[in-house]
Amino acid sequence: MVENLTTDVLVIGAGPAGSMTAKWAAKSGARVLLLEKRQEVGSPVRCGEGMSKDWLKEVGIVPSSRWINVEVEGARIFSPSEQVLEINEKHAGNEVGYVVERDAFDKQLAIDAANAGAELMLKTAATGVLKENGKVVGVKAKRFGEPFEIRAPVTIAADGFESQVGRWAGIPTNIAMKDMDSCLQYRMTNVDCDVRYCDFYLGSVAPGGYVWIFPKAEGLANVGIGVQLSQIHDMAAARTYLDAWIAKHPGYSKGKTIDVVGGGVSISPPLKQTAGDGIMVVGDAARMIDPLTGGGIANGCIAGKICGEVAAQAAAAKTPTREFFQAYEKGWRARFEEKLYRNWLAKEKLCTLSDATFDKVVDALQGVKLQKLSVHNILKAVHEKYPDVTREFESFL
Amino acid sequence: MPGKKGLHIESSGQLCIYCGACVGVCPLNCVYLDETRITFDEKICTRCEVCVKACPVGAIEIG
Repeated sequence: MVENLTTDVLVIGAGPAGSMTAKWAAKSGARVLLLEKRQEVGSPVRCGEGMSKDWLKEVGIVPSSRWINVEVEGARIFSPSEQVLEINEKHAGNEVGYVVERDAFDKQLAIDAANAGAELMLKTAATGVLKENGKVVGVKAKRFGEPFEIRAPVTIAADGFESQVGRWAGIPTNIAMKDMDSCLQYRMTNVDCDVRYCDFYLGSVAPGGYVWIFPKAEGLANVGIGVQLSQIHDMAAARTYLDAWIAKHPGYSKGKTIDVVGGGVSISPPLKQTAGDGIMVVGDAARMIDPLTGGGIANGCIAGKICGEVAAQAAAAKTPTREFFQAYEKGWRARFEEKLYRNWLAKEKLCTLSDATFDKVVDALQGVKLQKLSVHNILKAVHEKYPDVTREFESFL
Repeated sequence: MPGKKGLHIESSGQLCIYCGACVGVCPLNCVYLDETRITFDEKICTRCEVCVKACPVGAIEIG
C-alpha cells in the first residue's frame, strides 16, 4: 500500500516544461513533487531535436556538451523543385541553433529541478484529478501500479501532447483535425547530411507540414516529417510520405534507420484558457507549440518558469484560484502569444500554397540579402519578382 | 477479437510505437496510453476515426 501524500505544488510530467516549472517553484520556496509516468526521464525521445538557443539564459539553462550534438550555422529551405534558400542562424527564427540529445537534455532539466529542491517520483502516473467544490485539489495516481492520492493546492498539467490532466480538470485543450500534424522520424546513419544546416523541404512532399533533416553528427541525422490531418486521407500517411521522400533522395535512401520516433504536434492558435481553480496547464499540454515550426521546447520552458513562480506564490498565499493564476496567463501571453497567433495565421496561409507558388517564393528570395527574416521582408522581395504571387498574401502586408 | 465489430488496435508491438498521437487528438478523451498499451473506452468512443488518421504508422483499425 502506497501512502497518500501532500505537497504545495504538484507537477504532472517531467518533460522540459514540467521540470522547468518544478525547478522554479522549488527555487521560489515551495515544496514540489514532480511525477513522471515512465521509469526514466526523457526516454523514449519524441522529438526532432532541433532547438533554438537565444532563450536558454532567460530560464537558467546552461548549454552543455552532454546534450548538444551539433551547433548549426543556419537553415536551408528547399522548395518543391529543390531550389535552396539559405538562412543563417541569426535570421532563421527560433528553431535553429542546436541539434540536441533530447533524453540527455530532459534529464539535465530534471536534475536542475531536483537540485533546486523538487522531489521526483518515477513510474508514477496520474489517473484522475481530485476535485472539491469544483476546484482541483490534487490527483489520483498509480505508483508501480498501486493506487494512491496526492493532495496539493496547486496542480500543474505538464503531461505533453496527449495531455489528459487538463481535460480532466475541465480546461478544454482539445484540438481540431486541421490543427494537428501527424509526425514520424527515422534516425538514420550513413546519410549525406550537412552538419552546418538544419534542412526543411516544403510543398506536396509533406502536405500541411514539412520534411526535416536535423544533423546529429557527420553521417547521422534525424529525418522526419509532419503532415496535417485535414490534408491527408490514408492510414499511415506520415510513414508513406516519409518513405516516399527518402526513396527519391539517394543521399538518404542509402542510409540505415536505427530509431523510429512518432507523435502528434499541435499547430493550433493559442488556447483561450490555461488555468482554472487549483490548476495550471503548461507546455505541449497547453498547446504552446509554435504552429509554424512545430517547435515546443522554448515556449514550454519559458512558460514553465513563469508557471513555477506563480505556483509557489499561490501556495504561499493560500490563494490557488483561477484569478490568482492570471499572473501566469498574462505572463506567458505577454511573452509569446502574439507570435503564436501570427505564426498560426502564416501557417494557415502556407498550407494553401501550390508547389508552383512555393517555387516562386523561394526563387524570388535567391540572392536577396534579407536583413531580418520577417513575413513583411519576404513578401516585399517576392513582390518585386512575382507581383501576382503576393496578391495571395495581401492580408499580411 | 475476430468477428467482433469495434475498435481494434495493432498494439502488440507489430505496428504501434506508443507515441500518443491518438490520445491527444481524441475529441472525447477516450483513448489511454500506458507505457506499452493503448486502450479505448468503447462506451464513449463514437468511431469518429480521427485517431485512425492521426496515427503516423497506421496501427489503428476500426473493425
